[in-house]
Amino acid sequence: MATHAISIGDAEYQEVRSHRLLGFLFFLISDTIIFSSFIFSYLYDRSASAVWPPLGIERPGLYLAAVNSIVLFGSGVTMHLAMEAWRHANRSRFAGFMIATIVLGVGFLSGQAYEYTHLHDTWWGSVFGASFFTLTGLHGFHVFIGVIFLITVLLQTRRGVYDQSRYFGLTAATLYWHFVDVIWVALFFLFYVY
Amino acid sequence: MTISELQREASHAHIHPPPQGFVSRYVISFDHKVIAVQYFITSGLFFVLAGLLAEMIRAQLMQPHNTLLSAQTFSEAYSVHGSAMVWLVIIPVLTGGFGNLAMPLMIGARDVAFPWLNMFSFWLFPPAGILVFLSFLYGAPQAGWTEYPPVSLHTPGTALWCAGIFLIGVSSTITGINFMVTIIKMRAPGMTWTRMPLFVWATLVTAFLSAIATANLSAALAALFIEKIFHVPFYDPANGGSPVLWQHVFWFYSHPAVYIMILPAFGIVSEVLPTFVRRPIFGYRAIAYSSVAIGLVSFMVWAHHMFTSGLAQWVQLPFMILTMAVGIPTGIKIFSWVATLWRGRIRLSTPLLFVIGFLSCFTFGGITGVMLASVPADIHEHATYFVIAHLHYVLFGGSIFGIFAGLYYWWPKMTGRLLDERLGKIHFWVMFLAFNATFLPMHWLGLLGMQRRVAFYDNQFEGTNLLPMVAHTNVFVSISAFVLGLSMLIFAYNALRSATRGQVAGPNPWGARTLEWMTSSPPPYYNFAEIPLVLHGPYDYGKPLPYANISQDLATEPVD
Repeated sequence: MATHAISIGDAEYQEVRSHRLLGFLFFLISDTIIFSSFIFSYLYDRSASAVWPPLGIERPGLYLAAVNSIVLFGSGVTMHLAMEAWRHANRSRFAGFMIATIVLGVGFLSGQAYEYTHLHDTWWGSVFGASFFTLTGLHGFHVFIGVIFLITVLLQTRRGVYDQSRYFGLTAATLYWHFVDVIWVALFFLFYVY
Repeated sequence: MTISELQREASHAHIHPPPQGFVSRYVISFDHKVIAVQYFITSGLFFVLAGLLAEMIRAQLMQPHNTLLSAQTFSEAYSVHGSAMVWLVIIPVLTGGFGNLAMPLMIGARDVAFPWLNMFSFWLFPPAGILVFLSFLYGAPQAGWTEYPPVSLHTPGTALWCAGIFLIGVSSTITGINFMVTIIKMRAPGMTWTRMPLFVWATLVTAFLSAIATANLSAALAALFIEKIFHVPFYDPANGGSPVLWQHVFWFYSHPAVYIMILPAFGIVSEVLPTFVRRPIFGYRAIAYSSVAIGLVSFMVWAHHMFTSGLAQWVQLPFMILTMAVGIPTGIKIFSWVATLWRGRIRLSTPLLFVIGFLSCFTFGGITGVMLASVPADIHEHATYFVIAHLHYVLFGGSIFGIFAGLYYWWPKMTGRLLDERLGKIHFWVMFLAFNATFLPMHWLGLLGMQRRVAFYDNQFEGTNLLPMVAHTNVFVSISAFVLGLSMLIFAYNALRSATRGQVAGPNPWGARTLEWMTSSPPPYYNFAEIPLVLHGPYDYGKPLPYANISQDLATEPVD
């Protein structure tokens, strides 16, 4: 992909870029559907139950989740600043904000791991727990993939794969990271607040 | 746009050299035409296996209390038969097979947008099928192709089944995204939306449904898999889960999937008809836009599969009305096709015979579908052979007849040789008669109350007074089913024979006007030496061909 992108002309690059962008957007839409399906299941269980969360289950702690959310949204801000730096051709500032984003992403995952290990075992036996673990687990997996994605594109910029006019891999990583952020807003609201 | 403007738009499209070596050409191939053949061969093998399961089912049902199969084996046989026919035969053949074979050629492209993903998507398919059939070793699913919990949670093979269907679902989603981008972005210069061949319209809507609905199936399967392995409650009422929830998420995918299985067949019909009737298709826009309408409505009708699951009445009513409303866009299509036949110069060659078989059987199945949409009727008929008859009229009479129409039609494009017409016609008539003899009596059996999905039945269903000429209805049905299975051998012989003795086809044996016929058969690796320019719609029979940049020996007016 990388060598190919450099060897072709500008017009063909623009065409290839537009294909990849559209394909990536369709991928994000179908990914949204996967999350929506689980969210539907959660809301279905919720509407079928007289008390929510079900008897014997307590909501997970809001405090840790709030801190974790700030970490994740902060990584969205640093991601945005990294892209701004890239557009202004400031490579060192770009690398700094990318590393900050990666660190914040890993911080979020650590917070989630801490939360999982401190929840009660009986959770696995309830519909609340089933939806909670599946949805936040799926989201955590997305964050994990996102961190790998960010590390990969950062290393690629070091190797000179992208230049000022051709950086679709970077754009895709940014879109993906913001997408994962937005999904978290819905999950936070559902599990900790609503 | 003028031709010179179109030419400028077409200028930056390179020809890449074809790969060398057996593996990169035929195994890990990025070429959409080779991938299409890979889909056909793989699905063909699964079709034989799933067909044999169907024959086992019918062998068991020859007598009311047959001891040929145990009740458990019988349940396993129909569950895997249904799963395999839906996910391993009809969906892959219509999307991965015909979509890959015809769509890029029809829009004048060199390949799909993401050839690597196309290769990847295919290679998820054989392991998926193997997983589904491997489940027999562990105790295959017994809850039918719909795998309703809690029954599905009590068979060990469910986990393998979930994994297999999940893989095919991912493959389907990737192919859907790939095809959408290809059709939206890579049409030849001048091919506006309303100049697209109707098969491409059908493939576009199908790709949308595959990408959106199948993602939802993946989520449902993942939840079922997690519940099966880790005993986390989603669907099992014993643990506080809800089996009706599974029905909702399953059918939210599987009803659109019904249209994934029929829309491409509609597309094939819309291509074959004008070619063999030698006149423009009637109602081009009506057919194109009704596909879009069907695609959208398909997301709003899923609960009609659940009328016996205890839904509230205010939920049932809108689903009943919307389901019946699907008959409107479908009816628009049927009338447009019949109007195309009206006063046409009909050449009754094999592809058209299969299309006419499609029209009659599918219309019949559509009408029983409207009957089943009615809540009171459905409650009576839901668990009976009436439903089996209905769905086979739609999926066999519709999809499989459409698939064979497409195979006979595009075989020369795929292989360069024609299938034998006489054998093709014999195949059609044997298949058509055996199909109706198999499934028509099931309507009676169902209305009389014969239960589906049970290995045994009451003695009263051995023969029915409604069919006086057939004393033993179930024996008659089973024998017809065996003949139906054997009719596939005629096609297999015809296909093998064409490799050596088939007539060389030439680029355009049918005198068709869509772009896939404007290149050699089989097409070169790069499809078109120059990207063609499109000046008009594809179905104006009797007028000069609407293309520029086509090599001159192909661009002559097709012979009649």
